[in-house]
Amino acid sequence: MTPSHSLVAENLSAGYGDSVILNGLDLEVPPGKITAIVGANGCGKSTLLRTMSRLLPATQGRVLLNGKSVHRSPTRELARKLGLLPQSPIAPEGITVADLVSRGRHPHHGLMSRWTRHDDEAVAQALEVTKTADLSERAVDELSGGQRQRVWIAMALAQETELLLLDEPTTFLDVSHQIEVLDLLTDLNHSRGITIVMVLHDLNLAARYADCLVAMANGRLHAYGNPEDVMTEANVETVFGLRSRVIPDPVSGKPLVLPIGRHRLSGL
Amino acid sequence: MTTISFAYTVAAGRLARVRQWRRVVVALMLLVLAGFALTLMLGQSFTPPDEVLRVLAGKDVPGASFTVGQLRLPRAVMAVLVGMCFGMGGVAFQIMLRNPLASPDIIGVSSGASAAAVFCVVVLSMDGAAVAGISVVAGLAVALIVYGLSFRNGVAGTRLILVGIGVAAMIDSFIAFVLSRAPSWDLQEALRWITGSVNGVKLDQALPVLVALAVFGGLLLSRTRDLEALRMGDDTAAALGVRVGTTRIVVMLASVGMIAVATAATGPVMFVAFLSGPIAARILGPKGSLLIPSALVGAVLVLGGDYIGQFVLPHRYPVGVVTGALGAPYLLYLIIRVNRAGGSL
Ligand SMILES: Nc1ncnc2c1ncn2[C@@H]1O[C@H](COP(=O)(O)OP(=O)(O)OP(=O)(O)O)[C@@H](O)[C@H]1O
Ligand SMILES: [Mg+2]
Repeated sequence: MTPSHSLVAENLSAGYGDSVILNGLDLEVPPGKITAIVGANGCGKSTLLRTMSRLLPATQGRVLLNGKSVHRSPTRELARKLGLLPQSPIAPEGITVADLVSRGRHPHHGLMSRWTRHDDEAVAQALEVTKTADLSERAVDELSGGQRQRVWIAMALAQETELLLLDEPTTFLDVSHQIEVLDLLTDLNHSRGITIVMVLHDLNLAARYADCLVAMANGRLHAYGNPEDVMTEANVETVFGLRSRVIPDPVSGKPLVLPIGRHRLSGL
Repeated sequence: MTTISFAYTVAAGRLARVRQWRRVVVALMLLVLAGFALTLMLGQSFTPPDEVLRVLAGKDVPGASFTVGQLRLPRAVMAVLVGMCFGMGGVAFQIMLRNPLASPDIIGVSSGASAAAVFCVVVLSMDGAAVAGISVVAGLAVALIVYGLSFRNGVAGTRLILVGIGVAAMIDSFIAFVLSRAPSWDLQEALRWITGSVNGVKLDQALPVLVALAVFGGLLLSRTRDLEALRMGDDTAAALGVRVGTTRIVVMLASVGMIAVATAATGPVMFVAFLSGPIAARILGPKGSLLIPSALVGAVLVLGGDYIGQFVLPHRYPVGVVTGALGAPYLLYLIIRVNRAGGSL
């Protein structure tokens, strides 16, 4: 499957008030692939996702979705093509899983339009692929962190966009739930050709699951490309200020980062 | 199970939510209707339903024509209309700012409208639509001032509420000042502008409130889905295609508009805007939009509060005293809870 969509940031600057966070950044999201963004806290990862999905205006440069500026596109039309799962979404008190997921259909409805069969099918499918169908009548606020995260992903899936940006989809999850979410996203990428861009904090999982790795520092791209080329000891040192060893991951063959702190070291 | 058959399960769940919403709305409507009917029948004397109906049909009924037609009817109509305005405008604010304390009567908007109305009526001896118009402008101005004062890289709920409470306190003291200097000092009038009252209203005063409810209420209802999306956070809503800024402006204009017009008619009936949304949410559960249920709860609160104030308590009190007494404990409870956890609606 060759996806027909593209998402490109050109010379992009953005920030909050007077403080400039993104500073002339260029990024071409590879269509049909999984891209992972890594970087230190506060380096501007969320800001980049928010600007690329026009939640934040660009002070300079532009973001093009299929060649059209996202900041100039009608917001509802854009929301049918580009989905974003923010870092901390809020579940309304007591809302059920099915109800929350069905809100992903919002951009497909105008003031007067009625709910259709297709809407129900999109919601049903989103619940099924995320394995939340059994939870559909449960209240979201009484789910575990991993279940809740899958529900939010289901909501974004019900939106039926070709591109999906996810801000830290695995935060607060234990290791098995992290793997579960990343496997799910990979499945979606493989089966539906959805382009995925996600912010991850676990470097090893980022290197393992991403086709393309983006390392950010100070509002710029420090490195970009294959995980093997990006996840080097030198890059880890500049991006995170951390010494490390990088060895091949015996499980995946991808780079495995072993951080070097001041204690508990042997045989170096 | 195949996706197609599961889609039927999903549809069934959705329809069940819609049906439950309708049931709650119908039940609340019946409650409003019952309150309205009782207000027409009960008072110092009892008027039987057939006489009430004949008065409503425009017939001349000795005795009843005055008490029902001139005293009780305007009172009941006004109570329902302002109750709906307060209930709907209040919950729209609470949803938009995701905080039950962010209600217009807590953060100074109602006080602003009331101050403008009291100044126009008591000092300038104005009346009618002009007072309503000036109240709307004043309510909007206060909303903007509170918003502006609490703006620092976006508006945080808690900061806005604290600023709003401060602004409200200042305006309330201005109201007290105006009333104390008024040439025609009158306790009933003063209570109206401080707590809200439907005493002595005339039927023609209800017209601007009806228009405000239709226009601004319609505007709010047209934003129902966007408001629902805003409950999931600004970013999620924007990602779903909601124009967050525009929605904010429309919702603020419409809610302030309807609340200010209602305030110009009856004064800020205490805590009705603040209480209706949470009560409606408790009754309805998370089953859909709160705008209409909250409007109906507002009407019930004002009708019921007025009845209690007039006939149940040992002395006669304006409706705002009763609703104020209801709201104060809830306000305390919320402040304690928000202090601990930071509540949301
Ligand atoms: N709403 C805001 N207003 C003002 N400054 C903000 C806002 N959001 C983020 N910032 C600032 O912008 C910078 C980048 O923040 P951003 O959220 O993009 O970082 P991040 O890389 O996502 O960090 P994290 O890994 O902690 O999520 C930070 O210095 C932060 O303080
Ligand atoms: Mg972030």
